[in-house]
Order: sequence, then structure tokens, then C-alpha cells
Amino acid sequence: MKFLANAGFDLGRMLIQALGIVVIVFLLARVVPGDVVDLKAIEGDLSASQQQEMRTELGLDQPLIVQFGQWSWRALHGDFGDSIRFGRPVGGMVRTALPVTLVFAGLSFVLALVLAIGIAVGAVMTGSRVLRSLVEIVNIWSIALPTFCIGVVGILIFSVWLHWLPVVGSMLLPILIIGIDGAGQIVKPLYEELREAATSTHVRTAHAKGLSPWRITVRHLLPTAVPVALALSGLVLAGLIAGTLTMEVLFGLPGLGSLMLNAIQGRDYPVIQAAILVTAIGLVVVNALTDLLHRMIDPRLSR
Amino acid sequence: MTLVMPARTDGKARTRFSVRAFLPAAILVFMVAVALAAPWIAPFDPLDQDLLALNQPPGPEHWLGTDHIGRDVFSRLVMGARTTLLVGLGGAFAAFVFGAGFGLVALSLGRVSEAILFGAIDLVRAMPGVLLALLLIVALGEGVGPVTIALGISFAPFFAYVARAIYHREAAKDYVTAAQLFGGDPLHVLRVHLAPNLIGGLVTQAAILLPRCIVTESVLSFLGLGSSPDAPTWGRMVAEASRYIELAPHAILAPVLAIVLLTLSLSFFGDNVRRTLDPLREEAGS
Amino acid sequence: MTIAGPRLSRRMFMASTAAVGFSGLLPHVSFAAEPARGGVLRYATLGLDTADPHRHTGSIAVQQIYAEALTSIAADGSVEPFLAESFDISPDGKTYTFHLRDGVTFHNGDVMVADDVVANIERVKSKVTGGWLASAVKLVDTVSAPDARTVVLSMHEPYAPLANLMSELWIISPKSEGWNETIKTPLGTGPFKFGEWQPKVKLVAPAHTTYWRKGMPYLTAVEADLRDDVDKGLALRAGDLDIAYIKPDIAKQLATDPNFKVSPLKDAAWFFVAFNNRKPRKPFDDPRVRQALSYAIDKNAFMKFAAAGGGVVTNQMVLPGNLYFDQATHDADAHTKANLDKAQALLKEAGVDPAKETIEFVSWQETYPQVIVQMVRKLGFKVNHVALDDIGAQKRLGQYDWDMNCMSSGPRADIFLRYVRLMSDGPNPVLWGGIQDPDLDKLIKAAVAEPALDKRKALYLAAWQRVMEKYYVVVLGLSANQIAMRKVVQGYEPGFTWSPNWGSGGVAQTWLAD
Repeated sequence: MKFLANAGFDLGRMLIQALGIVVIVFLLARVVPGDVVDLKAIEGDLSASQQQEMRTELGLDQPLIVQFGQWSWRALHGDFGDSIRFGRPVGGMVRTALPVTLVFAGLSFVLALVLAIGIAVGAVMTGSRVLRSLVEIVNIWSIALPTFCIGVVGILIFSVWLHWLPVVGSMLLPILIIGIDGAGQIVKPLYEELREAATSTHVRTAHAKGLSPWRITVRHLLPTAVPVALALSGLVLAGLIAGTLTMEVLFGLPGLGSLMLNAIQGRDYPVIQAAILVTAIGLVVVNALTDLLHRMIDPRLSR
Repeated sequence: MTLVMPARTDGKARTRFSVRAFLPAAILVFMVAVALAAPWIAPFDPLDQDLLALNQPPGPEHWLGTDHIGRDVFSRLVMGARTTLLVGLGGAFAAFVFGAGFGLVALSLGRVSEAILFGAIDLVRAMPGVLLALLLIVALGEGVGPVTIALGISFAPFFAYVARAIYHREAAKDYVTAAQLFGGDPLHVLRVHLAPNLIGGLVTQAAILLPRCIVTESVLSFLGLGSSPDAPTWGRMVAEASRYIELAPHAILAPVLAIVLLTLSLSFFGDNVRRTLDPLREEAGS
Repeated sequence: MTIAGPRLSRRMFMASTAAVGFSGLLPHVSFAAEPARGGVLRYATLGLDTADPHRHTGSIAVQQIYAEALTSIAADGSVEPFLAESFDISPDGKTYTFHLRDGVTFHNGDVMVADDVVANIERVKSKVTGGWLASAVKLVDTVSAPDARTVVLSMHEPYAPLANLMSELWIISPKSEGWNETIKTPLGTGPFKFGEWQPKVKLVAPAHTTYWRKGMPYLTAVEADLRDDVDKGLALRAGDLDIAYIKPDIAKQLATDPNFKVSPLKDAAWFFVAFNNRKPRKPFDDPRVRQALSYAIDKNAFMKFAAAGGGVVTNQMVLPGNLYFDQATHDADAHTKANLDKAQALLKEAGVDPAKETIEFVSWQETYPQVIVQMVRKLGFKVNHVALDDIGAQKRLGQYDWDMNCMSSGPRADIFLRYVRLMSDGPNPVLWGGIQDPDLDKLIKAAVAEPALDKRKALYLAAWQRVMEKYYVVVLGLSANQIAMRKVVQGYEPGFTWSPNWGSGGVAQTWLAD
């Protein structure tokens, strides 16, 4: 009962956070100098009076409270309005971009988990020096090598020199890069947890009984590894958002990240707000899930 | 999220200290020295364009070649060390001031304000870092100043959390209760004992954050924001050279390697500092 | 004055490739081989801002795939017939009569008639706020359709640029969805239809089977890549694109590669240095100081860098070969070579010590302005180079608290669109320092109202002489934007502006040879 209450309380707190993020971004985006009319003015040689007309047409000259109120009201009903830059419904733009980011983030995350668990379990199970070094190497890789640097070098090697991959649009390389980066963030703590678990009495007993290493792994290590990895991966997931943004820009993937970046550069407020709302909700969901998992693994942490 | 992760402390940790700790520290000292001595080491003016020698590979005249606008890569790398370290340190320092400052103020004002103000800090932390920095820079403008402020704000939460963790840990200790019983001012006691503990935690945090600041600045430069064209940072060099990656791979490899070397050294260094200061301490989640 | 039928224009002016000089509308262009049918062309130049063609501002490079206009621009900048097969201008320059082509259909199958054209003109007049076209159309007093194939425009005053500007008044079916507000799906007359649009990602345009040019288009569809962060040159070479807009240095590389063809737009982007003309600050209000700064610039070195050797150094806003280019003025350019001694002498004469002055230098975040900054520094001035993004630069320039800039501006359908930015009440004059010179305005207005080409040319030239004398703006040179295409692309020729579909070459006539 207390468990549920705590979970509910946290969810509420996170929803308020999501709302806070939306408000902050709403305000920040408008503090940013220039608006979409300025952009159109540059391209189309608009005169001052024409710019003023455009602003009124787009509703940009109304007080901020009014603008926010109108937008939130419509958003609550699922209507994100039209892009003030392109005239297209924002909902459609987000709906096309979201799956790309979800697939990208999802696959990278899965890869990160598989790699981390694989390397960590392997290292503990076999005790091989190669695998133990791999733990260190992957860990250092994610700390020291910025993903965009790797991305740039990767394009150079695989697209320009080797012609193995198309220059834009292919998700293979970015998924690999973000996956390895994510794996590096959790592989070392995971390895240490597992090593601790491996020295526990259950495992030693099983070993003494003569059970094969494989069975020990599957019955004792993996069940520990997976939840721990999932709990740790909360960090990875949160970092995925920033990571995917740069990768989307670099590799030309039409996901939520590039949508947001383009919208910021184009001062396309409705798109920025819708994208950030979706992102914030996503973050909330992710955080809630990982906290839940975390609590299930370690009841000591329930407040 | 706080995970209790006991580190492996056996006798070996002590002896490894001298070798493993020395190298990263030496590299860092070397880099700082290069940054300080840059104006005297750099053979060319980093802004000087030799329009007849674009994208030249490394040679006797230009040790690391030239970039797409004819500037000497080595000179830019060496001068860039200054700006890069400045932005990194500046950002981390700004984060410290904003974070620890804001955090400690919140803490000393009582539990209610602590809850509210840390709620705000949670909010900043919940925002995707690059996104926040992006919006701030577009709002504040280009250049070393705005980038430093943007980095400071984005990373402030980390310092705030560390400050809060240490504060609460100390505040629960006996000497504070004792001071209270004896009628002494608990705040004074906290300040006296808090400071040294804080420094330790914050230095560790800074070592973690410094590479992140530098990488974030690089990403921002890459996305078209960040430092101005006249003040090269390594990140900016990567951004500009990425368009000429085929013609002049040296122009992008040099700053990439420099960034990698810096972040590697810093993280090893930070690791060692953490181990020396308190090997059994709980790691503040970050 | 009647302009009808195929117009012959012969001038070649870009060094890189020979521009095929025939214009006029020939229903069939003869090829060396029979055009193959089918295939999807992947095309990447600029972006698409809106699905409503009348509302599109700025450089337009995608819309022409599905939307066409009454006229189009020939290779030398003159007007050629397109949806109108001929047009007449009355001697007083106030009445335009367009004779529409037969058998033009919209994408929904309807035949285009004069009433449709009238509806389009009315729409631009009443519904569209910004853009060059809107201002022009506001000068139209009445527009009428005496019969199904004739449209008559009656102007308030003579307006020479109209015929050229009509090349961007797209004729869309009034039955298009969103006609009364913002068009969501435009039904144009172009060789391809408006298919699926993902903003900033791509546009898919399937072929229009009843296109007015019989037998065309040859392709099944065109896929326009709208992403602007992507390295188009790289993608082209990797085979991911068929036609792409590439930077001058990449163009230089590809020009020698037998797998690619490189061809320029027929109008060019021009690079210039402008001074703060609205609120000039001392000592940069002194023409001698401006002259000195101009003498510090080595235009050849600059253009070699900015255009990777493919540009033209000149002192005018148009390329040699253009209708409005004047050879004599070009030959009399005093600033083709840098002359630091003369510059120093001028500064001395003006009593200015460069070491004591800081120039506030604004530009976009490109590399070419840095070349100018360095040249100016050689004169001894301190330069504070502020490089901003589009909006930032716009705002900063509008504050008029700067001294010098270095910027560029792209191709335009008519030269008036360049002059209008130099006028006191012109749209968005900040890039050129916000000139407010009543004498200059008079000259430009006179040129606009002059129906006869040679008199108009002289008036424009007089206006330009004044700009040069006062050192409002110093032209560095012109560089045509380069389009590269894979060897298999046949029948495509870039137009005067960014248009991919014009009289003598474009996507309608394009086919893939594999």
C-alpha cells in the first residue's frame, strides 16, 4: 500500500515537473530574439508594415498569458495547432517524427543493454582478462569519446572511404554509436554488482554442487543482471535524448530531435512546444518506470 | 538516484596510485602549460589566413597542416587549448557558483524553501541538457560569456545535489546535535565542518563535469552555436572541419584527439581524486 | 511592343560550363538518344516553406515542380512565355495583355482558363501579405478576362518589372483545398503533382499525366530532399541524390569528374560589403575612409576563395551577359586590385588613425567574411567581428550600431528586386545599411516606370553610379550557385533563378539514362 502511495506521489511530482518544463520552454522560446516573421522577412524582403500584418495574422502580438492559455487549452484537447512556419498541422509533424526517434532510441537502448549485460555477465562468468578489459574499455569509451566526434569519424570511414553506408538516412551507425555509448555508462557498475553477486553464498553453493557455469549464469546471474541493468539504465535513457539530437542532425534522421532543432532555429513556437511536451512526457514516463523498477529491486529505498 | 557501490579497497589501491594517477595528472599539467604558453609557442597567428594554402596536409611549414581557410592547425590547436579550458573551467565554475550557491542558500533558509527551490533545480535537471543550453545561447547570444553562463545553468543541479547530500549528512551528525545542546549556533558549526567536506565533494564533481562542459560546448559549436569564429575552441574546430572531412582529415583529427585526450585524463584524474579522498564514500548519483 | 513566340538569347557568360542558349517553348527538345521513361529523380537544392505557393517568400527552388506561371525567365534574364504563349504591353506601359496557351490542365484534370488566372491575381492581391509579388500586384487596378484565353491587367502606373515578376505568380486551381485561407494541397499545372510533404524532410511529387507539354514528363516522380543540415555534395557522390546544390569548392572538384555534370544557375549570387548608411558613425561616414577600406580589399583573392575560382570580379549587381550589365562601368572599376598605399594616403588625408578605431563588423556565420576582416585588419584597424545567425544578424543590422558588413544575396527574377532594397522605404534594407537617399529613390523609380528597355537600363545605371560614388555598397563579385548532377541525369538545365522547371530545361524534360 505504501508502495503504491509513494509511486503515486512521485508520479504526481513528475507530472508537475513536466508541466514546469513546458512552461519554461514556452517562455524561453519567446525570450529568444527574433520570431518567425523575422525569418520570413529575411527571405522575402517584407516591409515593416507587412511584418506587422503577419504577426497579427499569426497571433504573435497577443499577451503571453493569452498565447499560453490558448495553446494549453487546445493541447489538452489534443490539438497542437499549425506550424507558424510551414502552415502544416503540428500534430502530423510530430506524429511523423516521433516513430523515428522512438525506433532510434529504442534500438540503441536495447543494444546498450544487450552489450552491457553480455560483456558484464561474460566477464564474471568466464573471468577472462579480455572481457574484463573490455569492461574497462567500453566504460572509458563512453566517458572520453564524445558521440558526435565518433559520428563524424564514422561517416568519414564508412560512408566516404568505404562506401558501405549511405551518407544520410541510415540508422545503423548512429544506433551503434549511441548503443556502445550507453553500454559504457552501465557496464562497469553492472560488472561490479554481478561480481559481488557471484561471490554470494547461492552461487558458491551451486558451484560446489557441481552445476555447470551456464546454469549458474542463467539461474543466478542473469536474474540479478537484468533488473540491475534496467535500474541503472535510467541514466542512459535520460541521456539518450541529448545523444539522439546530435546524431539526428549529423545523420539527417527526421526524428523529434531534428524537428526541435529546426523549430528552434525557425522560431516555430507551436512545434517547439509540442515537441518538448512529448519529450517531457516521455521523460516522466521513463523516470517513473525506472524508479518503480528501482524500488522493486531494492525495497530499502522506498521512502 | 543513489546507488550504494562499495569500491574495491584492498592494499593494491594504494600502490597503484603512484603510476596510474601520475599519467593523467601529468597530461593535464602539460595541457595547462601549453594553454598558458600558447602565444609564445604558436608559430602562426591562429586567425591568419593563407588563402593560397587551403587544406594543406601536415608538413615542415605547417606542422599539423592548414584548415579550409588557410589557417595553421597547430597554432589554432594550441591557442584553442586556452579558450577550451577557459570555457570548460568557466562553465564548471559557473555551475559551482550557481549550483552550490543556490543550493546552500536554499538549504539555510529552512525545509520549506529547500523543498521549493530544489524542486526548481529538479526541473532544470530534468530538461535535456543540450536543449537547455541551446535555448539559453540562442537567447543570450554567441561568445565565451553566454556559453559559460549557459553551461553553468545547465550543470548547476549537479553541484546543488552534492551540496545538499553533504549538508544533510553532516547535519545529522553528533557534533551538530551536541552544539545545539550546548546552545551553540548550529549553522556556525556546520560552516566550520561543512566547508572541508564540501570542497572534497565539489572538486570531485568538478572533475566529472569539466569534460562534460567541454563536450557540451563542442556539441553546441557543432550545432552552430557556441564560441565565436575569432576565438577558436577545439569543439569549434571540429565543427568547422567536419565539412571538409575528406579534403583535410588532419584538420578534424587534431582537435578530436585533443578533446579525447583531455576528457580521458580528466576522468582518470577525477577517479583518482575520488579514490584518494574517500574510497568508501557513497557516490552521489549523477 | 509585342513579345511573342520563341525568343533568341545567345549570351554565354559563365566560365565553368557552356549554357545551352536556346529558349522559347519547343514542345519537343531533340536529344542525342531517345528519352527513357520512368524512374524517380532525387533532387536536393533548397527547402519548401509552405504548401501555399502564393505565400512562399524567398528563394523558390521546389515549388516550380508542381506550380507554373504565365512567364518564365530565360538564360539572360529576359522574359519568355510559359503558360502564356505571348503577351503585349501597351506603349504607355500600363496595360498588359496575356494570351494563354491552349490545353493546359490542372492536376485535377480541369482545363486552365482566363478566369482561373484572374482568380489567382485577385487572391495574391487580397489574401497575401508579404513578398515581392504582393507589392507589385497592389499596383494592379483591374484585371479582366475578355475571353477564355486572354487576360488583361491594367496598372495604376507603368511598372517595368511586372512581366518578370509574373514568373512567380503561380497559377493554381481555385478548387485547391484551402484556397480561401492557406492552401493545403495545391493543384497546379506543373509536370508533377504535390504529393506527400514532410516539412524539412522531403516532398514526393508523382507525374502529372496530362501535362501541357505533350509526352512529358518522362520521370515517374520527383523526390525533393528538403533537409538543410545534410552535406549534399557527399550524398550526391555516394549516389544518394541525383541533382544537388553544391558549394563552389566541391563544384570545382566535381567539374573534372566524368561521373558528374556541373552547371550553374544563370543568375548569380553577389557578394558585397555595405556600410552603415542609415546612422553612420564617425569616421566611417567619410567617403574617403570608405574608399580607403575598399582599397584594402583584394577582390580577386576574395572571389577566388568565396567562389573557389569560379566567380567573376565586378562592380555591378549582375553578371556580364545580363541585360543590365554595362561593360564600360565594369572596365572603369577602380578597386579590382588592392592598393594599400592609396588607402593609407586617403586615411591620412581624412585625418584618421586606424590604430585608434575599432570597426564593428557584422556578418553571417560563414567563412568568406573572415577574409575581408583580415584584409581590413592589415590596414591597421581593430575589427570586432560579430558573426550571427540569420535572425541575429537581421536584428543587429537593424539597430544600425555597426560600421561595416560583408554579405551576399541570391538570384532574383528581376533586377528591380535588387534595387528596391536600396530605396528609402524598401523592404528589409538592413543588409545594405538602410540607405535613405531621395535622389537615388528618384532615379530608381524613374527606371521602374520606363517601358523602353534601353532607357530603363540607362536610368538603372545612373542609380548604380550614385551608389558607387557614395560608397554605400561595394560589390566584390558574383558567383553563380552550382548545381551538380549524376551522369545519368539527362535533359536538366538550371534556370535563371532557382527554378527547376522553366522554358529551356527542367524536370519536365529530364530523364534518367539507366
